[in-house]
Amino acid sequence: MKPVYILGVGAHAWGKFPDKPQLRLALDAMQAALHDAGLAWRDLQGLVAASSRFEGGMGWGLHANEIVQAVSESGIPTCNVGGGCAAGGIAVHAAFSMIASGQCEVVAAVGAERMPKGFIPRPPGSPDDISDTDYLRWVTMGATNPAYWALETRRRMHDFGTTAETLALASVLMHRNAMANPLARYRKECSVEEVLASAMVSDPLHILEICAVSDGAAAVVLGSEEQARRRGGPMVQVAGCATATGQFGDPAVRVPMVSTAARSDVPHTSEVAGAVRRACAMAGGGPQDIDLVELADNTAWHVLAWPEFFGFFEPGQSDWMLRHGEMDIDGCLPVNPSGGFLSFGEATTAQGVLQVCELAWQLRGQAGGRQVQGAKLALSAVLGLGANGASVVLKA
Amino acid sequence: MTTLQQASVARDLFQGSGDGARLIGTRCAGCGTHYFPKSLSCRNPQCDDKQVQDAVLSRHGVLYSYTLQAYRPPPLFRMDDWSPYLIGLVELPEGLRILGMLRGCTRDTVRIGMAMELVLEPLYRDESGQEVLTYKFQPRMAAGATP
Repeated sequence: MKPVYILGVGAHAWGKFPDKPQLRLALDAMQAALHDAGLAWRDLQGLVAASSRFEGGMGWGLHANEIVQAVSESGIPTCNVGGGCAAGGIAVHAAFSMIASGQCEVVAAVGAERMPKGFIPRPPGSPDDISDTDYLRWVTMGATNPAYWALETRRRMHDFGTTAETLALASVLMHRNAMANPLARYRKECSVEEVLASAMVSDPLHILEICAVSDGAAAVVLGSEEQARRRGGPMVQVAGCATATGQFGDPAVRVPMVSTAARSDVPHTSEVAGAVRRACAMAGGGPQDIDLVELADNTAWHVLAWPEFFGFFEPGQSDWMLRHGEMDIDGCLPVNPSGGFLSFGEATTAQGVLQVCELAWQLRGQAGGRQVQGAKLALSAVLGLGANGASVVLKA
Repeated sequence: MTTLQQASVARDLFQGSGDGARLIGTRCAGCGTHYFPKSLSCRNPQCDDKQVQDAVLSRHGVLYSYTLQAYRPPPLFRMDDWSPYLIGLVELPEGLRILGMLRGCTRDTVRIGMAMELVLEPLYRDESGQEVLTYKFQPRMAAGATP
């Protein structure tokens, strides 16, 4: 396998952009990443798109072929990958593989999404019967996505004594980090009291403890070692890159299932834990070597639970770590210096790409007021509907 | 399973009524794993048999976790006289944890570890006047059952 490097990264701001088409968001992110790489559209030898979930041409979401047809009809191969909110991470993995295999020298991965307001509705195309659990969860009990995460949160409170204040503190940290990120949707400090006073969505989760559905787009340009040397500047290698699916017996209450056949010897959120394990193994390091993580904090519970699921902390240890500042930017494991889904915002299929952008900015020392000092190894972790997981490890 | 005036939210989901109410799932004859709702195949990677059969599930279980759904869900969900309600995760002896609405308890009385039982209850009355039933779980004491 040939080594793969980051040539350029770029993102559109996260927010609500009702007057900006999804394709425009994608082109803006691609232009920023190409500019960062010092390349033109015609230099790309391949493009991978994370297939968007909520809009896009021809009824199949945003696709890379649509992007090149809009801006540069060079005839390059394109590839479109699904995977729900993990699609961005899976797209980076596909682009990585095209270069690692020696087929291409320069390949980009892009994600762009415009999200509907409020609770995420059921996607079209499935029958109205028991074969579609996304249908069942609505008609039998109206279980919204936050309800699933709330069940996990309540169980954590029972198992480890996690308090409402600690959960709120996770959201406070994400908001504080996002203040120093010009691309973040929310850049305003909030207090534990404000989080706890915000509307209850699914008890014990308040609205400020749940990801903010947003519009956004991000792109990364990957290349061979020769291409990275041509670009100049700090060399950032994709040291680990993996995808995974869920394992039988995973105890997670997975959206949109109505049951789980939980087995105590199977890792929780196994699709992401599996990807993280593989990405770390490829990078030749373990959780103890990672300087910062960008993880998919759909809720405050994820900020606490995921570092434990992936071996960064012991089960139940995250509460202490968070309260003692160890997840802060200057802590032992900075979590989501970008501001995370809770404050940077969430734009589903674009998120896994944005995470990799943030890792690259951190490792190059370009993260401004949210810079993790001396970061050498950084990891992303993202989960997608349908038991999809992806993880990327970058090395400076 | 239902009278002329009653229908279920989805076919092949549950059967019976009153104390005889049961969820319908699947059991793999090869490895014994249960699934809910009925599944096309066994999902155990160690199992090569994958001969799945319909199986009715236990009516009793233990509450593993719960939440209060405080916002009205989007329109695919229908409920007459909507107000915030509890959703729970109930662990059955078959090793399955089942998600469902709770009744007979409140945010203040519900506790993880409670003994629960399955009940069928109307969610709403449809355009033809039929009551549409869903499955719920309630604390066993609330039904007058011995704990």
